[in-house]
Amino acid sequence: MNCNNKPELRERLAAEYVLGTLRGRARDRMRRWLREDAALARAVAEWEARLTPLAQAVQPVRAPARVWDGIEARLGSTEAGSSRRSGWWDRVGFWRPLGILASGAMAALLAVVVLLPAEKAPPAESMPAAYIAVLSDPKTQRPVLVATAARQDARLSVRALDPAILVAGRSLELWAVPRKGGPKSLGLVEAEHATLQLAAAADRSLGDIPLLAVSLEPKGGSPTGAPTGPVLYSGPCVKYW
Amino acid sequence: MSEADPAPLAAWLAACANRDRAAFARLYRATSAKLHGVALRILRREDWAEEVLQECYVSIWTHAPDYRPGLAAPMTWMTSIVRNRCLDWLRRPRLEVADEDGVLTEAAESDNPGPLAELERAKSGQALSRCLGELEARQRQAIALAFYEGLSHAELASHMREPLGTVKTWVRRGLLKLKSCLELQQQA
Repeated sequence: MNCNNKPELRERLAAEYVLGTLRGRARDRMRRWLREDAALARAVAEWEARLTPLAQAVQPVRAPARVWDGIEARLGSTEAGSSRRSGWWDRVGFWRPLGILASGAMAALLAVVVLLPAEKAPPAESMPAAYIAVLSDPKTQRPVLVATAARQDARLSVRALDPAILVAGRSLELWAVPRKGGPKSLGLVEAEHATLQLAAAADRSLGDIPLLAVSLEPKGGSPTGAPTGPVLYSGPCVKYW
Repeated sequence: MSEADPAPLAAWLAACANRDRAAFARLYRATSAKLHGVALRILRREDWAEEVLQECYVSIWTHAPDYRPGLAAPMTWMTSIVRNRCLDWLRRPRLEVADEDGVLTEAAESDNPGPLAELERAKSGQALSRCLGELEARQRQAIALAFYEGLSHAELASHMREPLGTVKTWVRRGLLKLKSCLELQQQA
């Protein structure tokens, strides 16, 4: 939007955006304009400076320890805490898809949970999948791959929601990313439906894994045992029961 | 953390931009109670506030490299992230915010500025507090309810039992008056 000729409108939009009374689609539109209109963004910054001191009057409420634990889990741990390591699993942007659990992808996740057990659970397995990871493309936030396992089962069922993600001549390698240390390979995703053998029952091999990720590797998988190509997809690995 | 010295916050944010997790932990310890309080006031549900707080600190860590000290004070920047996220959260249609304890109705009905009195004690809030005091009572209430409780125009109208148009006018005029008062204070 060009507010250049409408300073009063700009001022009003900025003030109500910051106050919070600009809602719904108007708020969405405002966000788009803010990216393009520097004067509007400046007006918002000025209003934030004017009104935010109001927050000082809010009574502080100590957040329970689980809040910090959750933040750490979403960011992943680093040992020393201060050094920048070279592994892609330490880069924060990579962890951001964890946030999707709380947003729109929840519906997709639930739909998948409902659909999958009937189709993928082996007949002998009475309990449906307890571990579910929905991996999504960080660029589009669309879920592309679902991995599931029952608690006592050492088989990980992997399903590509979009077969187009399989790349000819290269391999997609699935990784378990632990809270500490580098990723461990779970195997290659080479077909729309794949069953990967876990080192132990899911409770032991996935119980402490917050995240699964897929990297693009040479045909046959990473030659080094660690990811060598770009991380294409990732998603939280959640234990449902 | 009512009147924290902005200096360590800015330094910690800068360290966060360099991926310093220890600085991030200090930043969290210094600011989370206040931001948790802000989120609780708007969302009025502990589990939602906690979820939003987690998302916001992840966002603060992620966007720390984008923070520009010259553009906003650290607490202003972080509070804006939290308030924006809370307002987005309230948009989900399934989330009907109940006023179980009647706090809103009470606040809307009384002439007591409530938390605004607290502002007086905070040094950087004094100018704002003075200027809010110059607004008409209903303008002041509408602005405070919108800021603290995250009420929309429609919710303000129903809580204050006034027509929507009237409430919108209070908010708009109140904000304009607030701005010119604050500018005068700055010049003085």
